[in-house]
Amino acid sequence: MVDDVFDEVGLKVENLHASYGAVEVLRGLDFEVPAKNVSVILGANGAGKTTTLRAICNMCNTSGTVTLGDRDISRTGTAEIVRQGMVHVPQGRGTFPELSTMDNLMVGAYTRKDNEIKDDVDRWFEIFPVLGERSSQMAGSLSGGEQQMLAVARALMARPRLLLLDEPSLGLAPLIIEDLFDRFITLNKETGLTMLIVEQNANLALDMADYAYVIESGEIALHGTSDQLKNDPAVQEAYLGA
Amino acid sequence: MDLVLLLQRIFDALFNSAIYSSLALALVIIFRSTGLLNFAQGEMATFTAYIAFVLLSGPQPRLTGGGLAGLVPGVPFPIPLAIIGAVVCGMVGGAVTERALIRPLERAPDLALVNITIGVLLATNSLMGQWWGTGPRVFPAVFPSGAGQNFTILGARLRYSTIGVWAVLLAVLVLLILLLRQTRTGLAFRAVSISHANAELVGVRVGTTLMYGWALASGFGALAACLSANSVLLEPNMMLRVLVYAFAAATLGGLDSPKGALIGGLIIGLSQTLIPAYVPFIGFELSVLPALLAMVAILLVRPAGLYGTKRIERV
Repeated sequence: MVDDVFDEVGLKVENLHASYGAVEVLRGLDFEVPAKNVSVILGANGAGKTTTLRAICNMCNTSGTVTLGDRDISRTGTAEIVRQGMVHVPQGRGTFPELSTMDNLMVGAYTRKDNEIKDDVDRWFEIFPVLGERSSQMAGSLSGGEQQMLAVARALMARPRLLLLDEPSLGLAPLIIEDLFDRFITLNKETGLTMLIVEQNANLALDMADYAYVIESGEIALHGTSDQLKNDPAVQEAYLGA
Repeated sequence: MDLVLLLQRIFDALFNSAIYSSLALALVIIFRSTGLLNFAQGEMATFTAYIAFVLLSGPQPRLTGGGLAGLVPGVPFPIPLAIIGAVVCGMVGGAVTERALIRPLERAPDLALVNITIGVLLATNSLMGQWWGTGPRVFPAVFPSGAGQNFTILGARLRYSTIGVWAVLLAVLVLLILLLRQTRTGLAFRAVSISHANAELVGVRVGTTLMYGWALASGFGALAACLSANSVLLEPNMMLRVLVYAFAAATLGGLDSPKGALIGGLIIGLSQTLIPAYVPFIGFELSVLPALLAMVAILLVRPAGLYGTKRIERV
């Protein structure tokens, strides 16, 4: 369904359903995340954004087809999916509060067996110097912004092909959010890392994303390039506060 | 007060303390990672002590263990090897229990799983009775523990066997800490102990890691049983009493703290010996009472136990 402007599909989702008990939260989603691009999922509270990411990673009851690169991962366990290169930074960040910053990064590299893990730690300490300063401190004692940086760095330690971020701006001060999103863009530009970001802050998300989807009541209501959506009157009214 | 006698009582209590601490550690390892109390820990440990006993027996088995009869080796194992054999069997048994009985029910409520462990307790107990009979057997001493085999410190006797069990306990504890702090699997285990969901998200196979945890815990239990079998006589209910004290020790120390298990075992062991000795109206038969009161008092002040993690949830 994405226009043929992308060379490679990073992630393809077809007819994705998800439910918690008897409540159906996703009602047949179809979308694609083009490789080396940043895509966002927008939507109101309760629309099913978080569930979409959880369903892609097989963290809840789902049906439908999810293809990562050329592999069907619809029946693959969450831990295996990480090994195939898709890493999810969940809402609430997914860090381990009772482990040190350093151990959080090391456990992020759990699936790797190469000998460049230490180099990667140094690299992320360079990019996020505050993490280096707090390397022996328990993750739970870091500030919200620092924890979010740690969550992202921890995810990147796995050297993912595709990064899923669930509301990275949640609970952060506006300046910190801007800084964080700048880093995401740099990361994408420099390494070609594919990202799928769930975000409530539509202005911010559309500024950084190449492609965007809008979810309403568990279905894709709208999609298009960021510029298309920015200029869409319905989006402007519902999400951009115009 | 007779200080030599006090010291003597403390030395005497130290042996049991080490056993309580070991079994408490086993309970803590499983509780930390799964949030589950394994009531079968003691019986699983006793079973491995029987295995050590079978290995020690050699060609004229003093007990023919029903299904295990064919496995009795032709030569008697020396004690250290028999214990290592028992620990290995214990670890395999722990891993199999996790894989076969616990993991298939991972989505079941905790109480159901507790019931499973009680089922394992009863089944293991009956199996031992069936195979090896319920009569007590003399398990050989692991460390020299005859008359005169002790150091004399300030007039009080500290037995070699007490030093032996503490040396083993501390050595194994150091290994455990190294495993948890220095290895990839240890890091995965710590991550799983904090959050199963987040551990999955970094690619840790939670089920496999929990299986290692059960193996480790059962190894600790096996060690506790083999080291104490000489002093309490080997019989199917051997660890039942120990398990109660180990539960008390683990609760007292904080159910998720290995350090707490160690300190808790010490406190329970010491109070069990010292309080009946100095508080006349509490006889030895009631020796568990002061430990229970100490536990209630500490839990009133610190609900998470001495070293337990206070779980604070943001709502």
